[in-house]
Amino acid sequence: MPPVDPNKPRYLCCNGDESEPGTFKDRQLMEYNPHLVFEGILLAAYAMSITTSYLYIRGEYRDWIIHMERELAKLYEKGYVGKNIMGTDFSTEIVIHKGAGAYICGEESSLMESVEGKRGYPRIKPPFPAQKGLWGCPTTINNVETLACVPVILRKGAEWYASIGAVKHPGPVLYGISGHVNKPGVSEYPTGMLITDLIYEVAGGIRNGKKLKAVVPGGSSTPVLRADQIEGVTMDAESLREAGSMMGTAGMLVLDEDTDMVSFLRRITHFYAHESCGQCTPCREGTGWLENIVTRIERGEGRLRDLDLLVDLCTQMEGRTICALADAAAWPVRYTIHRFREEFEARCKPDIFATGEIGRPQAVPAA
Amino acid sequence: MPTVTIDGQVYTFEGTPKLLQFCLDHGIEISHFCYHPALSIPANCRQCLVDVGTPVIDRETKKPKLDENGNPIIQFFPKLMTSCSVDITDGMVVRTDRTSELVDRSHRDNLEFLLINHPLDCPICDQAGHCPLQIQSFKYGPSGSRFEFRKVHKPKRVQLGPNVMLDAERCINCTRRTRFTSEISKSNQLTIIGRGVRNYPLTPPGVVFDDPYSMNVIDICPVGALTSVDFRFQARVWEVSQTPSITVTNAKGSNCVYWVRDNRVVNIVARQNPAVNEYWLPDEDRLAYPMFNDNRPQGPTVLDGGQQTGTKWEDAFDRAASLLKSVDGKQMLFIGSAYATVEDNYLLTRLAESLGADAPVYIPHLVPGAGDGWLITDDKTPNANGCQRLGIKPVDEAVVRAKLTGGQIKLVYVLEDDPVGSGLFTADELADIPVILHHYHTTNKTLEVADVALPAAMVVETVGTYVNEDGHAQRVRPCKEISGINRTLVMEMGKSRQDRHGTPFDRWYNESHKVNCRPSWDILPAIADRLGHKMAYTGPKQIMQEVASTNSAFEGATYEAMGLLGVRLTEVAEPA
Repeated sequence: MPPVDPNKPRYLCCNGDESEPGTFKDRQLMEYNPHLVFEGILLAAYAMSITTSYLYIRGEYRDWIIHMERELAKLYEKGYVGKNIMGTDFSTEIVIHKGAGAYICGEESSLMESVEGKRGYPRIKPPFPAQKGLWGCPTTINNVETLACVPVILRKGAEWYASIGAVKHPGPVLYGISGHVNKPGVSEYPTGMLITDLIYEVAGGIRNGKKLKAVVPGGSSTPVLRADQIEGVTMDAESLREAGSMMGTAGMLVLDEDTDMVSFLRRITHFYAHESCGQCTPCREGTGWLENIVTRIERGEGRLRDLDLLVDLCTQMEGRTICALADAAAWPVRYTIHRFREEFEARCKPDIFATGEIGRPQAVPAA
Repeated sequence: MPTVTIDGQVYTFEGTPKLLQFCLDHGIEISHFCYHPALSIPANCRQCLVDVGTPVIDRETKKPKLDENGNPIIQFFPKLMTSCSVDITDGMVVRTDRTSELVDRSHRDNLEFLLINHPLDCPICDQAGHCPLQIQSFKYGPSGSRFEFRKVHKPKRVQLGPNVMLDAERCINCTRRTRFTSEISKSNQLTIIGRGVRNYPLTPPGVVFDDPYSMNVIDICPVGALTSVDFRFQARVWEVSQTPSITVTNAKGSNCVYWVRDNRVVNIVARQNPAVNEYWLPDEDRLAYPMFNDNRPQGPTVLDGGQQTGTKWEDAFDRAASLLKSVDGKQMLFIGSAYATVEDNYLLTRLAESLGADAPVYIPHLVPGAGDGWLITDDKTPNANGCQRLGIKPVDEAVVRAKLTGGQIKLVYVLEDDPVGSGLFTADELADIPVILHHYHTTNKTLEVADVALPAAMVVETVGTYVNEDGHAQRVRPCKEISGINRTLVMEMGKSRQDRHGTPFDRWYNESHKVNCRPSWDILPAIADRLGHKMAYTGPKQIMQEVASTNSAFEGATYEAMGLLGVRLTEVAEPA
């Protein structure tokens, strides 16, 4: 990284635009431990000589925005934030910024655009936020959960923190478990927990004594794992990569044996089609197309060739856009089809004509 | 010198150019939509993807690592990069669609995406024929579409402002237009609304797109989403001939292309000239086209019993010559014109000189406060600077009026202007003395008192030179045929016509649209001949050569030097 200009102001953004389906950990932090978040922001601001920090909270979290604002007012009242904090010469401000309900504003650069009052369009990188972030100034951006860890690390030391959980991916994680489980909710555990432990011990097992069908380990964009793929898999980057998925936000979706995977995928594709910002062509057009096809399959009108087309479209989208939303939209489609292909095939009608490299619909003669 | 390898070919470069611009400058085509050299780079169309690699640098020696053959090891980026936003670095290796199957495929894939919700109404779209989306779809696009769903529907026929019409379905969201209004014209009158596949550009609520430069967005739109309210559905692009020239609505002389069909100017669009107008053209220049078609006179007229009566050119010249012979040169007033070319004004000064008259003057047409310091000027004439360089001064109204009312002026010779209309004289004041008038329009107010009225060719029908307010001398080219002159033989018309589409449609068939007028550089020698002052020129090119060689204010302004972009004349002190 090239050195940053020392004469420019610096900013800190705390990303509380928690919008990934299946993720609700930041909400818990803001509701039950808001001062831990503020403390983390203040410590980070002190360490980096930052005078203004922005806490960006998604617009749908209205209750938590009000709650955080009330708590922040207390901090100002006590003199923990603002001018000459606790009588020192360090001054810093915290600004709570309400989002307007766009998933894309959880992406770091579009979050900054949003704070600047513009349309939430992700920026091209480089330059990265560390060089040119808010208003073209060096900016650090972290998640609520990350900054909430800062006070604990400072109190107990980095070595203690690194000793928690999996060796290569240490630390505590807020697991948000939802779906067909008996006890959905957020629980804090170290990394490296067995997925089966999380489902059967922490979340109290599958609802109504059903069998497990699939698990999405970290929010809707991470690839889905079949029940037979999770044996011995632990919640850390390495183990999940081997199993063919990702840690993501650790917002775990548990699906029981009655789940209709086509319907499940249809809902996910609808989400990404709705939330694509519309800036890059592959994502803008691709997400809508994916939704169209999956919806058609769900209605029972799909063709077998649609499955190959879906995978093809994923290839056309992945890695060709400014931000990762296109990848996030493409992965669930690619892996759900890959891992539950029979289920999809059972819903599709056979092809009425063969498809080549680029399937050109042939005119069907009128009857 | 740092080097970059593109498709195996090594190029040297200076500074940190962007890859796409560098390729375009070196004749390597990379398909793209959202990139425009004058605007910021959003990299949002994702069409210009290329495969980019950089040499692996040894951390210790800071030099590129070499393989066993001594060639630097190149590490390619894991993803394809948008060439518009990549800064070229030393040793960079680039694979475009010519050498990389993946890049070729990415262009095809992206075009497939762009076209799925595009209405594909090319047969009725004004942009068809010069549409970057259409052209690049043919070159790089897929052979068909796999999209079998209802396209997304968006508003059509939305009038954004007085001059621009939007068809949101055709839009590919390149954001060129919103960037134009925020970065170039600074009016911020356009924005993108909606999200995802349902987004399209629009004016914010309550805002009318009345930017004085609004029509530039029509030029830069890479599809047919933005069309001109005036020009839409008027002509197909391959039916018109496109002639590079300049506009004459103000003293900037912005470069433009005249679109002519059936011998009528139907549209005016911007032409790139970094020294004058870059890529842009104000709306008033574009909307000036009807003046070349409407109210044009048909042939010369003479005043006969208080009525303008049509006559033959030869008779009109005889009449003008006899009028000039009947008055002493000292009692003539020659009015030059800031609307006319340097060549025409030069011949007028020569005629005045040979008759012993005072040097001509010109009528300034200034609208104080109309200018914006950019492409719109207070001066509404294209050649005031050229007149001054020829020694033609702005008319001193008080002096001239005093002379006229005092009976010291016995004849007025007007070159391509309207002294009555501009308020210099009243018609009554001129009623008793002979007036010879070169005029453009039948609405010219001086016409009713003109003893000899000679229709003059306008900028779109003649060859000549204009000098803009910054001293930039530029050539105009004829794009419209006038009656009696075969365009292919005279006035370089055949040569000047730059038909970008190579289609044979514009044949100037329609005689009724030809104006019976003649360029002033043709009229003036004809009259001078009859007065015994031979002006032997083969054409404006030779006249300009003479001006450039005899008048230091025009040094270097030959037709060859001016070419398509003009030459900057040296600053001259204000003529005393």
